[in-house]
Amino acid sequence: MSLDEKWMMLGDYVRKTIRKLERKGITHAEAFFTSTRTTEVAIRNSEILTQNRADDDGVGFRVVIEKNKVGFACTNELSEKAVLEAGEKALAIAKVSSEVPNFALPAEGTTSKVNGLFDVEVAEVNVEDVVDIAKRAIDAAEEYDKRVIAKDGRVVFMAGWRGVVNTLGVDCEERETRTALYLAGGGEHDGEVTSSCSDYTFKRTPNLNPENLGENVAKKVISMFNPKPITSFQGTVIFGPEAVSYQLCDVLVDALKGENVIAGRSAWTRRIGEMVASENLTITDSATLEGGFASRSFDDEGAPSQNTVAIREGKLESFLHNATTANALKTKNTGNASRFPGGLDMVRMIVGNGYKAKPEVYPSNLVIQPGNKSKETLLAEIDKGVLIEYMGGFAQAGSGLISAQLSQAFYIQNGEIQHPIKGGMVSGVAFDWFKQICGIGNDSKQFVNSFVPSLMVGNVKIIGA
Amino acid sequence: MLENLRKCLETKIATQANLVQLRGQKRTIITCMVKNGVIEEFSNVALGGVGARVLVDNKSWGFSSTSMVDASNLEKTLVNAVKLAKSSSKLKKQQIRLASAKTVKADITLNAKKPLQNFSADDIAEIPLDACKGAREVGQRIAEAKATYISIADDKYFLSTEGAEIHQNITRVVLYVDIIAKGNNTICPASESLGHAGGLELFDKTSPYALGKTTAEKAARLLNAKAPPSGKFRVVVHPTLCATLLHEAIGHPLEADLAMSGGGFGNQIGKFVSSKLVTIYDDGRVEGGLGYFPYDDEGVECKHTVLIENGVLRSFMHDRTSAALSSVSPTGNAHAWDYSVEPLIRQTNIGIEAGDYAEEELIEDVKEGLFLEGTFGGQADVNADFTFGFQSAKRINHGKLTEELRGANVAGNAIEVFKTIDAVGKDAVLRPGACGKFQFAIQGRVVPAIRCEIMVGGMGE
Repeated sequence: MSLDEKWMMLGDYVRKTIRKLERKGITHAEAFFTSTRTTEVAIRNSEILTQNRADDDGVGFRVVIEKNKVGFACTNELSEKAVLEAGEKALAIAKVSSEVPNFALPAEGTTSKVNGLFDVEVAEVNVEDVVDIAKRAIDAAEEYDKRVIAKDGRVVFMAGWRGVVNTLGVDCEERETRTALYLAGGGEHDGEVTSSCSDYTFKRTPNLNPENLGENVAKKVISMFNPKPITSFQGTVIFGPEAVSYQLCDVLVDALKGENVIAGRSAWTRRIGEMVASENLTITDSATLEGGFASRSFDDEGAPSQNTVAIREGKLESFLHNATTANALKTKNTGNASRFPGGLDMVRMIVGNGYKAKPEVYPSNLVIQPGNKSKETLLAEIDKGVLIEYMGGFAQAGSGLISAQLSQAFYIQNGEIQHPIKGGMVSGVAFDWFKQICGIGNDSKQFVNSFVPSLMVGNVKIIGA
Repeated sequence: MLENLRKCLETKIATQANLVQLRGQKRTIITCMVKNGVIEEFSNVALGGVGARVLVDNKSWGFSSTSMVDASNLEKTLVNAVKLAKSSSKLKKQQIRLASAKTVKADITLNAKKPLQNFSADDIAEIPLDACKGAREVGQRIAEAKATYISIADDKYFLSTEGAEIHQNITRVVLYVDIIAKGNNTICPASESLGHAGGLELFDKTSPYALGKTTAEKAARLLNAKAPPSGKFRVVVHPTLCATLLHEAIGHPLEADLAMSGGGFGNQIGKFVSSKLVTIYDDGRVEGGLGYFPYDDEGVECKHTVLIENGVLRSFMHDRTSAALSSVSPTGNAHAWDYSVEPLIRQTNIGIEAGDYAEEELIEDVKEGLFLEGTFGGQADVNADFTFGFQSAKRINHGKLTEELRGANVAGNAIEVFKTIDAVGKDAVLRPGACGKFQFAIQGRVVPAIRCEIMVGGMGE
């Protein structure tokens, strides 16, 4: 059965179930459903390890009864009976659940199509072509320098449908493709093994440019040869796009999420209109970015996508919301309901994403407006500091505390990189760092939920090994 | 399902592969998340499907999965798997050999004292509600009390063209408590968890109420605590943190796939790699361990594998492929999170053998150091370089615990850190754990407290 045929079938069962639920005295019902086909090739130690294909179809129902009691149930069994049973289980669970204050679902709205989300070549890809991309990435890395080994990697081609139906008139669906290439390399030099250095590309098209990525990984590995420890100091730090995306954005997201604001857990609660960052920082949530990896024409509750300015020139303008959090704060829904949020939530890791879970608030593409300086120009401005391309560990939710390992970092003196750093940590509060931003790069890079450049931050504490 | 799986192995396409492994699974997950006394999420997740893994030309793996488990769709899935495997066969330089494993026919059901099916949805909801209640009784400073109950019931089949036919029916229960305290112009998190393979007897020893209360008390207390200092310290690592250190930073480099990719413990079998006081094992049969698996997802029996014995590296954790490369027997460490993904080398219940130090004895020899407790998880790479968070610390001054401090991160190289271990606690405790190596896994850890040297990345003096 083709993906499109399965999608038609699933949609039919889902809509029938919603109509049946409507006759059972409920307040609202909602279905979120997807059909996907994923082809993936894994790389391990210079070889193709395995190739795999997963077909997955499923639906998750939220059923709301009087007093906003909500139940959730899902199934991945593609039969009329199983889909109806899931809807009925959600209703049964709602009956033993408790009142969710301010619960809301979006009503019917006008969505406009976002371009560049689907590419027929990705949808119809042959596994041989995916294998070829993996092979080219390995070769590019290892041919660039014989000391480099492609240790680990993935090439993913996904095509799928996503749909939302609710009893308030929302009925929308969208077709999309995604591709991703990840490669991690390592190398041995003078008997010392580098820690693993990786690079990623996230796209909607088959053009993953594996040669370029492989070469980048090799360059990163070589740049880590002959690392030296440093002593502790306060100095200027350039956080490369990956370090920004991985830890600094996590702190931003935590402070911007509507549910955290309601709980008083966001560091920026009740601070709309105030300066929370340096005036050169502007951050938007851009769900309509053409071809963006997390772009979409409607969010995972069916609310139309939009562009939301969260921080304009350092001033906090808006939080991010789904229907419920917007309702609780009596503000406009920003279309940030996500069933594919990042982060390290244990329940979500056990249960899974998509139709298997209810939506949370999460950015689509969190975009930090780039500056006009290259990384080299930023570097030249530093007397004594560190360039951090990747830092291990993670930020502490709420407080913004980061104490991260300098996994891939370089010591800078007199405007030039001196050597890679062995051991050591960077420590501080990310909310302070946002205020200390003194330069922004023009090197924006797309990650799963962000599109961010390098950030230069003054007066950061570096701990030597 | 069993009949369809058997039929699938008898199809003509199955004969085109050197080996076919079919894994069928039905999984029901119940989650009930209570935040501040309100059931915010109550879910029933029903998942099922089959994953087909094939080896062709003795050098290429293919894998395909489907949620449509009728005979005709299973055959199509197998056809896909063979096609995928053949797609890179020509590019492969090396042959894949599999270590031989006993062909097992087994039917195992974990008999819980309090089986999940004996409890209603109302009974289940009481568990996180009680935990929340305990937390909220601590008072105003508890800004958010979240308790999450999760049960996972797995009904799994493993069949192969080698003749294996294994049925395993196992339930697991976990409870997570996550607290955020607020006051004194700051925010302070604390979390704790319980978990095991079994039923609701999990709460016989520690009640959800008590777990909620002690966790919330800690978060509230930490609001007034100072930040820990930074630098290298002599520390006593409580089992809650030792579990993370062991799993992330020692466990991962002992997984054969990671070890063989260079760095860490590679090529050091028979050599001293750790303090002589350290003996580390992995054991899929630890009763009640969250990582209790009688058989792995290649049909190999799980057992007690000594990895490091009195500081000497004895073995890695293996699947059948890595075992063949090292000319040893597989250790039962090939595990897949569910039917839709391929098995990888994973820990089950990793443990450190208890030593002979009581907690006071671990502390009394430290002139100036820290006692580190609780975990916020972390990460490590194949070289055993790690970073992870602890929830709180106590200053040790002349052998006595003094002021309580807030959490921060520790970092370093675990192999170096484990060489500095000079005492191991006498009480090993079973802890629940989880791991995200390419795919999720739930695991157990059996850990005592240890004393060693570690780098702390705190903000204080």
